[in-house]
Parts: sequence; structure tokens; C-alpha cells
Amino acid sequence: MKNTPPKWMDRIIEWICPDHLLEEVIGDLHERYLSSENPKAQFRANGRYFREVLYYARVTAFRRKNKSKPSTYFYTMLNHYLLTARRNLFRNKAFSFINVMGLALGITSFLLIMLWVNDERSIDNFHENQKNLYSLYVTKELQGEVTGNYYISEYEFYNDFANNPRTFADELKPVFPEIKYISSYATTYELPWGYPTTFRIGDVSHKLKGAIAGGDFFKMFSYDIIIGDGENALTEINSVVISEYMASLYFDSPQEAIGQTIRYENTRDLIIKAVFKNVDAKSSLKFDYLISWENLKDNTGVTSDNKWPTFIQLKENVNPIEFEKKLAKYHEPFYNENFGKLTLGIQPYGDRYLKSGFENGKPVKGRIEYVRIFSGVAVFILIIACINFTNLTTARSLKRAKEVGVRKVIGSTKSYLMGQFLGESIFLTTIATGLSLVAVNLVLPAFNAFTDKAMYLPFDSLKGWLFIFGLILTAGFLSGCYPALFLSSLKPSKVLKGLTRFTRSAQLLRKGLAVFQFSLSILLLIATLVVSKQTSYIKNANLGYDKENVIYVRVEGDLVEKYKIFKQALLTKPGIAMVDRSSEAPHDMGFEIAGPFIWEGMEEGRQMSFKPTSVGYDFLKMMNLEVVDGRGFDKNVPTDSAAFMINETALAEMGLESPLGKRISAWDKQGRIIGILKDYHTHSLHEPIKPLIVDVKEDLTFGIIMIKSLPGQTTTALRSLEEVSAEINPNYPLNYQFMDLEYAALYKNEQVISSLSNVFAVLAILISCLGLLGLAMFSAEQRIKEIGIRKVLGASVSSIIGLFSKDFIQLVGLSFIIAMPISLYLMQEWLASFAYRIALSWWIFALTGVLALLIAFGTVAYQTFKAAKTNPIDNLRVE
Amino acid sequence: MRRSDLGEFEELVLLSVAVLTPSAYSVAVAEHLELQTGKTITTGAVHSALQRLEKKGYLESAMGEASKARGGRRKRLFTVTMLGSKMLHSVKDIRDNLWSSMGPQSLPNLSTN
Repeated sequence: MKNTPPKWMDRIIEWICPDHLLEEVIGDLHERYLSSENPKAQFRANGRYFREVLYYARVTAFRRKNKSKPSTYFYTMLNHYLLTARRNLFRNKAFSFINVMGLALGITSFLLIMLWVNDERSIDNFHENQKNLYSLYVTKELQGEVTGNYYISEYEFYNDFANNPRTFADELKPVFPEIKYISSYATTYELPWGYPTTFRIGDVSHKLKGAIAGGDFFKMFSYDIIIGDGENALTEINSVVISEYMASLYFDSPQEAIGQTIRYENTRDLIIKAVFKNVDAKSSLKFDYLISWENLKDNTGVTSDNKWPTFIQLKENVNPIEFEKKLAKYHEPFYNENFGKLTLGIQPYGDRYLKSGFENGKPVKGRIEYVRIFSGVAVFILIIACINFTNLTTARSLKRAKEVGVRKVIGSTKSYLMGQFLGESIFLTTIATGLSLVAVNLVLPAFNAFTDKAMYLPFDSLKGWLFIFGLILTAGFLSGCYPALFLSSLKPSKVLKGLTRFTRSAQLLRKGLAVFQFSLSILLLIATLVVSKQTSYIKNANLGYDKENVIYVRVEGDLVEKYKIFKQALLTKPGIAMVDRSSEAPHDMGFEIAGPFIWEGMEEGRQMSFKPTSVGYDFLKMMNLEVVDGRGFDKNVPTDSAAFMINETALAEMGLESPLGKRISAWDKQGRIIGILKDYHTHSLHEPIKPLIVDVKEDLTFGIIMIKSLPGQTTTALRSLEEVSAEINPNYPLNYQFMDLEYAALYKNEQVISSLSNVFAVLAILISCLGLLGLAMFSAEQRIKEIGIRKVLGASVSSIIGLFSKDFIQLVGLSFIIAMPISLYLMQEWLASFAYRIALSWWIFALTGVLALLIAFGTVAYQTFKAAKTNPIDNLRVE
Repeated sequence: MRRSDLGEFEELVLLSVAVLTPSAYSVAVAEHLELQTGKTITTGAVHSALQRLEKKGYLESAMGEASKARGGRRKRLFTVTMLGSKMLHSVKDIRDNLWSSMGPQSLPNLSTN
């Protein structure tokens, strides 16, 4: 029989008993244990011992405050700890540097990402009525296919092209008493892309972007009105509300603007009713002016494509779930099998920005995915940095073991030591956080410019400080708790004899952490490679048309009538290669219409959607479109004005055997198919190519005019364009776009994501390598004598490097094996959002693996090399 | 002097300390009391009573020698103070007075046979 009581019971007593009583109490207990009448009955003795131990919980619970330490001790101790911390920090400059820099890098990344995430989350959340604001969306079910969007075009419901647009605002408000306010909101669309519209007072004309909104708009949303009666400004026809900025373009002060008349698109006079404060970055709706919805109803005024989002403010006590159920039934009577089943739903307004992507008819996707991914990355990087700290501190703790021993002998208790080491790590985290805040402040302007935001460090809010404070505590605790635990539990009797090796479990834990950390880094690295490869694939994808050197302007004002003169005039000017027109830009084909299309040989009752495009005769040549069958439009063939071309996708979907010469009736036009266009991308590469039908119309009142400049003569071409435009279309300021830039803008999200992930993956790898460097330094230092002896015995430098690198290479290899399947899965998920994407080829993974190994090897080998190169005499002399 | 200043258990512990002096410490007191009362007494209970008594000023203590049975830990030895002695004496006086002023038939007879 053992003659000591079970250890765990002693632990309990150590834990519950105040320190100044510990010695006598444990002594008592042990003595009592030994004096048990029957030494063989260990079980009973243990039971009795346990009862005694528990009794102390009762005794000491209210006795603890009795521990009276003179308070001056506390400050002396604190001073002493600070002194020790400082000495340690400066004694091992390299380690401290790595430790603090690693943490600072990690925290900087974390803060930057969190700022971005926070900003994304805060968009559209500034309205006072926030909790009652909803946006309407519609789910459409047609032939088993479920789609959804925010735009509700009313002809879909009533199957007639209403000349007198009715809005949901008109329809729903009388039916549902739950609705307090309702407002439609339409950007001035004529085509699905918005465009700046011209406002003129006298000689001053400017192009501005804005929208048409219902009378309740300013009652629902908290946009600040500077002057004028904002709440009722949009209820009358011909009224307009403008921004401070817009007011400054025409007037000296906002006050002056009220009541003034301004000419809209040279067609209509609007009266300025109010001026609002410029819409800031926190709003997803961007507008410099709002025109009264009454103008849209009037139908002679503002044009629109009959698609617009609708926003609702519910009354205070309305249950949104009940309301949505009621709303969903609203369209049952209007069910029409040609147009499918439509169901209305509502979504909290604040969610609209992040969850604008529809899946199965519900708005659940969108930017929220990037917010989630980056939140994850932020936490990952912070963890990597904390693990670094943990590993390095633990490694270095061998050096401080003696300090612990001495402290314990002098009388420091475990909890005091824990406090000391945790305090040290929190102290270092504070320094690192301070450095990060400086760093964040420095890079924030660039970061803002790059992400197109106006973020700032929240020094002005209590919440911001609490966050930073919480971050310091969390990171400090995360990185410091294991070393503190480890160090404070060292036994003076062992340590003072000289602790030279870690226990197996401590070593395992350190290796485990290193593997975990490297797995995360490799994951980020693979993700970066895939993302940047996909992004460059998109950028350089063969779109099927030539977007270089193309400038385009909108058909507006006098250009409607004078297109041919404009074209002729332009062609005589320098720098211009070609001029032609199209109803839509090739990268942004708007309409998709399941309209009345009939073709020769079409099965009865077949429904098919097309993207109709009307172009000029030179369009194919200008965009370098390839004709795979038949021929393109020809000015010299008179019947071509009624001819059609379709793309390969359309051909495949129509299922025509020999398409050439087949008759098509589309809307008001009838003609024959004269050629098949090779597929080109009609949208961003997120979406698959849609069936396209192309005809020639040179007299459209809308659309764009494309001007191709001679290579390298963009500036000349622009000057020519300005001249001709000023001459032929004087009432409209020139507004042009570059097609390649507009195309690139389709991938703004991906661009940002790609660059961000580049930066952060490099940071993650850097931090991990700092950790590895630290471990390698430590290991080389630890085994410096071994290296010396090996050298004396004749080992070469390279064999020593090989020996030492083996361990680390194994760790990195293991990390790679862990990271690979996870990243494979994650990347496949991400790529699934693209209709056109790269294949995940094995070499990406191989490259990452080799890269990680190389970096790790380089880091370790360098350290070992340094150690191996030293003269063995220097290291072996002392013993 | 209020009676409440000395609980019954405290009184017993205080007396035991007086009996066991100069080697009165918690284990010895607990064992002594177990012997006297025939009940199980934990050192914890004794320990807390000793502390209370010390706080009230009836006991004073000093660390004693270490022994092997205690794993090299020292014990805390208690002695009764002047105040403690006074207290014990006054309690005893009250009891003695009460006993002596009791009539012969005042208590039920315990020996029933």
C-alpha cells in the first residue's frame, strides 16, 4: 500500500485552501491519513480523507479574505515583474522581435479584415426605422425552374405591356393594413444598366446619377434633408429632390435651389423641392437626385424598363412572418401558366446589401459569403500568430526554468507565477497591438482607396475601445496560457538541477501546434493561388469579341435623329477606326425575354427566352465576332434589314437542324436566319452564355454608339469624339465609357478578393515562417554542443543541416497532407459560383507543397547553417 | 462576558488544547476528541474551530517542528492564552455553581435498575 493519499485529492486541497494555511493543512491531512487504524483498508482511508478534504471547502470558503498581504508588496512585486519582463525582452532580442512582430503582423491583418467586415455589415443599417424596413422580392416558378429577384415587373403578372404602369406601392397598400409606408425605387433605366442623366439650368449642364422614388421614400429612410419639405417633396408630379453636391453645381447655396426649375434630359422641367445631405458610403442606394414617382405614372416623363425594387415599412406591432405568409398568397389569382407562378416575399432591408444573391428563389447569397470567408481568414491569421507566440515562448521557457525554480523556492505560489507569465504575454500583446494600430493607421488610406470605402479606426467609440481591449486580452490569454501553465508547474527540485529537455507531451503539443499553424497557412496559400488563377482567367478569357480600344456613348438627345451624320463626321476625324451601334453593350446584355418568338419548325406551346440585340451593319466586324455558319449582315442586301442572326447557344436550344433560311417572327419583325454567330460571353463569367438573337436596326431611339480608336490613339480619338459631340449634340455633356474598363468592373468583387487574399496569404505564410524561424533558432541553440561534437568528429556542414531540417520538413509535410483535402473542398465550393472556371489542377497543390517545403527548409537551414559554421571550440569550451 | 462567545464545540476544542499542551495541534485535538466523545471528528472542523478561537484571542499559535509523517511539513501548535484561560474558568464556575445549587431530586435518575 502506498502511504500517501491520492494526488488528486491533494490538488483539490491546494486549490481550495488559502496559501498561508496550505502547509499546516496538508500536513495535518497527511498525518491523519497515515494514522488510520487499519493501514490495509486503503479504500476506507481514502474515503475518509476525501471527506476531510471536502470539509475544507466549507471552512475556507469564507476564510479566504483572511489572507492579508500588505498592499505595498503588491506594487513591489508588480515592479519586479515588469523589470523581469523587460530584462527578458531585451536579453533575447531576436526571440522578442520575432514574437512581437509576429503578433503585430497577425493583429494588423486581423484588425484590417475586421474593419472591412464591420463596414460591410454596417451598410444600410443606419436608418431609424431599421427594424420595420423590408424589401420586397419575388420568387418565380416556371416549368420547375425557381428564380428570384428584387425587380418586379408588372407585365409578368398581368401579361400585358401596360401603358399605364401600376406599381406594387399602388397595388399593395390598400390591401394590406400592416403596411405603414411603401415606396418603389427605380434608377433611371431605359435599359437595364443605369446611366447618368442630364440636368440643365441655362448654360450649365451636368450628368448625374439618380433615381425615381415614391412619395413615402423620405418618411421611411433616414437621409438627412438640409432644406425643404423632404417628407412631402416626392408626392407631386414634376418635383425633384437633389443632393447638396448637385445643388452646388448649379447654385451658390442649397437655400437658393428650393423652388427653382431644372431641365431634365432636355425634355421636361422639374421643380426642386428639397436638398438632402450627400448620400454616404453607408448607403447601398446611391443617388444625387430623386424624381417623384408621379412622373413615371404620367408616362410622358421619365422612362423606365418597368422593373423596380419596392421597399416597405411595416407598422410597429406587425409580425413580419405572419405578414409574409399573407403576402405570399396575394398573387394566386393572377397565376398564369405562360409566366409561371409568382410568390412575394420580404427581406429585412438591412440584409439586402449582403444577401442580394438568390438561391432557390430566396435571397441568401451574395457578399455575405465574402464576409464569412474573410471573418474566417481573420480569425485564422490571429490564431496562427498566437500559436507562434505560444510555441516560441514555450521553447524559450527552458531558459527561464531556473527563474521559476528560484521564485518557487523563495515562496512564490503557482497562481502568482501564472499571473506573472500571463501578465507578460498580455504586456507583449499590448505592445504588439499598439504597433498594429500604428500600422493599420498607416495603411488604412491605401486600404480604403483599394476597397472603395471610408473606414477608420474606432477610437471615438467606447465599443471600439472595448473591442481593442478585448482583443488584447483574448490574444494575450490565447498565446500566453499554455506557457504560463507549463512554466508555473515546473518543480523547483528538478528545475534547479538543470532542466534540459521537454517532456514528450510538451514536445508533441508544440509540434501539433506548428502543424496546425502551417496547415492553415498552406490552406491560405492554395486558396490564393486558385483565386488569383481564376481571376486572371476571367480577365484574359477569350470572350469571343474584341473589347480593346472601344469607347462607347449613349444614344441620347440629338443623336437619336442624327446618328448617321454623327457617324460620318466621326469617321473623318483622326484616331477613329470604326463607328457602329448596338442596343446593348456586349458584356452587359440586359433583357432576357420569353416574348412572342416563333420560328419555323417550333413545337407547339414551346417557351424560350432570348436576349434580343439590335446592331448596326458594321457591328460584327468591329467586335471581331466570328460567323460559324452562313454570313453576317450586309448593307448591300436589302432584305438584311429584316434578317436575323442567332448564336450557337440559341441554335442548340431551338433544336434546329438546318437553321439557315428559316423564318423567325420576333415581336414586330419577321425575317429569316442568315447566319450563326459563334458564342460570345454575354455577361460576366459568373453566368453561362444565353441564347441571343441579333437583328439590324440603325434607327433605334436608344442604345449605345461604339467608337473604335486606332491602336495607341485613344487620346486623339477622344478629342475627335468631344468635338463632334459638342457640334451635333450640344445640349448633352459627353459621357463616355471604355469597354475594357467596364468589363473589368464586372469583377470588382473578385479583384478585391483576389488582391486581399494575396496580401493576407503572404502575411500568414510570413507569420508562420517567423514561428518556424524561432523554433529553428531555438533548436540550433539547444543543440549547439551536439553540433560542435559532430563537427569535431568529422560531420560536414551539409550533413548537419540535413539532420536538423528533417524534423521540420516532416512537420511541414504533415501540414500539407492535412491542408490539401480541406482546401480542395473549399476551393471547389468557391469555384462553383462561376459558370466558367479553371480546373483545379494537381500542380497548384504540388506547387504549394514544394513552396511550403522550400520556405520551411530555407528558414531552418539558414539557422542551422549559422550554427554549424561556428567554430566548435567556442561552443565546447565551456562546461 | 456573553456566553455566545464560546460555542460548545469550541469549548471542547479549547479544553483539549489545554489538556494536550504543549503539543496541541489539530490532528492531536481531533484524535483526543474522538477518543473522548466517541464520534468522528474531522481535522477540518477542528482546524476551523482553532482558527476561530485564535481570532477571538483564546488561543495563540506557533509553527512547530516538521515530521516525516507529515511529508516534511510543519505543524501549528496551539496554547491557551490568558483570555482563554479566563473564559474556561468562568464557564467552569458557572457550571459548578449550577451543579452545586441543584437539589437531590432535581434530575431524573439515570440508573433505572
